[in-house]
Amino acid sequence: MSDGYTLVICEKPDAARRVSDALSGGTSHADQVGGVAVFRFSRRGEEFVVCAAQGHLYGVSDPSDERAVYPVFDVEWYPSDLLDEASAIAARRISTIRTLAAGASRFVNACDFDVEGETIGYNLLKYACGGKEKDALRAKFSTLTEEDLVKAFEDLKPQHAQGLARAGRARHAIDFVWGVNLSRALSQSALGSGHRYRTVSIGRVQGPTLGFLVQREKEVREFVPVPFWKVSGTFEKEGKRFNAGYAEDRIETKESAEKIREDCLGREAVAVAVRRSSAQIGPPVPFNLGDLQKEAYRAFGYSPSRTLQIAERLYLGALVSYPRTSSQRLPPTINYGGIMRGIGKITQYAAYTEELNKAELKPVQGAKSDPAHPAIHPTGEKPKRALDVSEAAVFDLVVRRFLASFGPSARRELAEVSLEVGEHEFRLSGGRMIFPGWMKYYGKYAGYKDVELPPVSQGDRLETVGVAVEEKFGQKPSRYNQASLLEKMEKEGIGTKATRADIIATLVGRGYVSGESMEVTDLGLSVVEVVAKYAPSIIGMGLTKEIEEKLEAVETGGQGEGTLLRETVRAIADQLAELSANEESVGHGIDSALMSSVAGSFVLGKCPLCKTGDLRIVRSKATKKRFVGCSNYSSGCRASAPLPQKGTIKTTSKACEHCAWPVVYVMGGRRPWKLCVNPGCPGKNKP
Amino acid sequence: MKCHLCEREAVSGLCPYHEAAKARVQSAYPLWVRAYGRMEWNEYLDNVKRNVQTGQWAKEIAGFLKGD
Repeated sequence: MSDGYTLVICEKPDAARRVSDALSGGTSHADQVGGVAVFRFSRRGEEFVVCAAQGHLYGVSDPSDERAVYPVFDVEWYPSDLLDEASAIAARRISTIRTLAAGASRFVNACDFDVEGETIGYNLLKYACGGKEKDALRAKFSTLTEEDLVKAFEDLKPQHAQGLARAGRARHAIDFVWGVNLSRALSQSALGSGHRYRTVSIGRVQGPTLGFLVQREKEVREFVPVPFWKVSGTFEKEGKRFNAGYAEDRIETKESAEKIREDCLGREAVAVAVRRSSAQIGPPVPFNLGDLQKEAYRAFGYSPSRTLQIAERLYLGALVSYPRTSSQRLPPTINYGGIMRGIGKITQYAAYTEELNKAELKPVQGAKSDPAHPAIHPTGEKPKRALDVSEAAVFDLVVRRFLASFGPSARRELAEVSLEVGEHEFRLSGGRMIFPGWMKYYGKYAGYKDVELPPVSQGDRLETVGVAVEEKFGQKPSRYNQASLLEKMEKEGIGTKATRADIIATLVGRGYVSGESMEVTDLGLSVVEVVAKYAPSIIGMGLTKEIEEKLEAVETGGQGEGTLLRETVRAIADQLAELSANEESVGHGIDSALMSSVAGSFVLGKCPLCKTGDLRIVRSKATKKRFVGCSNYSSGCRASAPLPQKGTIKTTSKACEHCAWPVVYVMGGRRPWKLCVNPGCPGKNKP
Repeated sequence: MKCHLCEREAVSGLCPYHEAAKARVQSAYPLWVRAYGRMEWNEYLDNVKRNVQTGQWAKEIAGFLKGD
């Protein structure tokens, strides 16, 4: 070996610190190179320097950088600071890594082992380290615990095939070509239609995802309910009353429903059949990222992107395993017993681990696997710092899911009684838990409730106390929420586990979708409308899905990335030509939606003081803070009010019942909250 | 030509969204008549407009068809 040191490149600074601590046994010392922290230590006579990226330090761009020009099919990789002026930190880190590379004799890529991590490491080794991407070794680990890290560095792998990195780079290039061309075509069309420049874009996965939302939005907005009736009876036995539903759930006509009531009133009910059964409910499979995101949304209302951020913080704290995984499986190599022992040191789980340790530890396994990482699981380490509320919540969910996956099946006793009243049948049902099994470990997240079992035996006679006929209407379809949209994307195979949450957040950020209910805005409708008309492949599922499948083939070496890029360019070139040829119609289609979206997002409602102006959201030129002001300010109306400076303000077109000032929703944090913008609203003083 | 009910382009007075909603409102009428035994067209439109489950475009069309 030559005289230089081993340069280890991690994905994030926290990971670099953990790798250094683990390999040096806590003896590493922090140093500053070019204003960036690096760690130095010796291990078995060998010198190590550990440095970190901070996510992607290189990005894809168009060499011409003319925002009005399209199509653009030539792309190159550039340091991120050249693409985004705010990325000065990227320039510093690249410079530091370049300096360190000059003195290194061996290189180790220790970025996260997945497509993005491989791409980050590959680009740094290629561009900042002088073409070391093929010579570098790879450290593969799924947790940042000392044990896993040491093991990974004792078993460093050569990285010859680099399928993940090639697929990652191809994905970035394809998404850039797709996004930049579509964005420029749509934005130029809108500009040509007289609107001032505003970016209107639609990414490769965003298009079909917005397509799902628009399809559902149309169903919701066109919906006409149809009436039906529900009949239920109240029956009494030995002074105890029970409610039972009519056997037929929906009665189509009012006349039929009322006839049932007339037929049954005053007649005795006979329990003609009592069916008792028990049902086993198996434990839930271990979490992959999508499952965790859906469960955190259900349990805490966290958006998928928020859950991912929290899970990454827990990973960097070595508390949970790598979260960007598709796997629902826990292999024995993760050391079940060791993790149980670790968790058992945390007071609230001690009794559970003790109980589970009495039997052989064998988790239930899910169907989905991931060659790079196991399902998300706790590492067994105790938090070394106080976790914030959201971190503690997600950590608890991960630990309990892990414990539950080792638990036995739960058993429920179910009973259903058929009550006959003349020719009519009512059904009474109930269920209770007779053995909680895994539900005990999963705790409040299990979500099963007991419904009292009716103490009725076959042949029992009950008094019919009342029969209720209730008018109902068909329910309009539910809009997607962030969790159900994520599930739909998974089911349709578009996006990746790492990108789906960001894609959903981008649709909200672009103003195509608003609110918790993911209501599609007029702008979103118009974008889908014009793109579906002139470039249907862009919004359809087929092309995106085909690209995803081919990217997977690039990962495994079954397809060349150059060929895939050329195929993609050919596929979108025709669509772009169509958009370009119809620029006027396309621009016209999105122009009015843009106008109403811009205007609608600022106007809160009529001014209650001057009665003629509109109260609008205004940003102060001096302080840059937003506040409410009246459009008649120049005519003398001084109505104004402060606004929260964080979160998105969503108009409601509702006036406050106490003061008639507009009511808005403030989006951000866990749940949106409703606010009357009037600081002096009398309703605010009510207890 | 603009849609009678929104800013979108229309072919025969209504944009494709409101046209589709109109077809829904019209096709649901016989179901309401059957459900209640009888119901006048205008009474039906009032009910559709008031119902919380009715979608936004269907509500707008119900009002439009009633001449509100």
